[in-house]
Amino acid sequence: MAGIDTGGGHGKGRATNHEIPLIPFIDFLLCLVAFLLVTAVWSQMARINADARVPGPPKPDEEVEKQQKEKQLHVEMRGERKFQLVWKEGSTVVNTIDVERKPVKVGEETRYPDLAKKISEEWTANGSHRAGTDQKLDQAVLHTDNSTQFHDVIAVIDAIYTPQRDWNPPGGGAPKKIPSFNVTFAVN
Amino acid sequence: MSEKALSRFEQPISVPGRRLLHHIPLHFVVKKVVGGGHRASNHEIPLIPFIDFLLCIVLFLLASFSASGELPIDKNVQLPKAENVLDMTEAPMVAITGTQILVDGVPAGNTRAIEEANRLQRIDELFNILKNKRELWKQINPGKEFPGVAILQVDKKVPALVVKSVFQTAAFAGFPNISFMVGRLGGPGGEGGGH
Repeated sequence: MAGIDTGGGHGKGRATNHEIPLIPFIDFLLCLVAFLLVTAVWSQMARINADARVPGPPKPDEEVEKQQKEKQLHVEMRGERKFQLVWKEGSTVVNTIDVERKPVKVGEETRYPDLAKKISEEWTANGSHRAGTDQKLDQAVLHTDNSTQFHDVIAVIDAIYTPQRDWNPPGGGAPKKIPSFNVTFAVN
Repeated sequence: MSEKALSRFEQPISVPGRRLLHHIPLHFVVKKVVGGGHRASNHEIPLIPFIDFLLCIVLFLLASFSASGELPIDKNVQLPKAENVLDMTEAPMVAITGTQILVDGVPAGNTRAIEEANRLQRIDELFNILKNKRELWKQINPGKEFPGVAILQVDKKVPALVVKSVFQTAAFAGFPNISFMVGRLGGPGGEGGGH
């Protein structure tokens, strides 16, 4: 067993040699391990981002900069048989691509791998923000039917987030992979 | 005299020591215990590495310990799953369960009016609660920029109209950075959905 041996201990005073009680210590550690294991949270939850591009409370002290019109990818999911990908610059339609709506079941979830593939190809061909130093993301606008169920909306957002690009954080640090698009909802 | 008196109370049995090896006349036992030329059957349990191992486990579990406990997920809510996801963050939780809307467990309106009107509209109760939360945050953290993050916990069967109404209401209340709570779908769960 573990102990503290000072080499003395023959005098009349209190003994200087001590045995460390390891067994109670191990019991204590085991109790601690058991408690922490029981109370541990093994969460599988995550989040998927969306950006609301609607005006918030006005800030009179900030001057609104006039922004150059950028290409935006509008993902139309109102059709029952197909998705429509529309590249727009402001209100000008640049290009329209139809993608067949082929849902693939993964367990209980619906996925759209064809849509994800097509969006990746489209971003490679037409994406504006590719450089790692570019802090902006390309914008995707999702158009949904009012009655579309939420899990279908998430499946399409997930497909939009499939293409990824390198990104260097502004304060330095290791480059990261981030999605190429930022998703928002169309109001109409 | 005194020695005689002491001897009356002398203990014939001494307190046993820790080892049985040397003072036991049973030679076959001694031979067996020391191994008798073979491998010793007497073993010391290596306690120090065992304690080190336990300490490592304790430290790991303490590091990953969450005092706030599990994320509050309503039992009636079935969340969808996604692949390109981000880790959860701490933010006001807006849950849509059936027809009820809750902000951090507090009722904040219902969705019936939206479904009946069948058009996008602001939910006043939700708007007021979120606005109050925003103002409270600003009072507690003066001079700091408000992150404007809210997490929507939405059942997978809720129609998009309700989701968009809640989304827009949150944005009007000063929470433009919305995240949807989802489950991780297979794979390593790479990063996604903004930075």
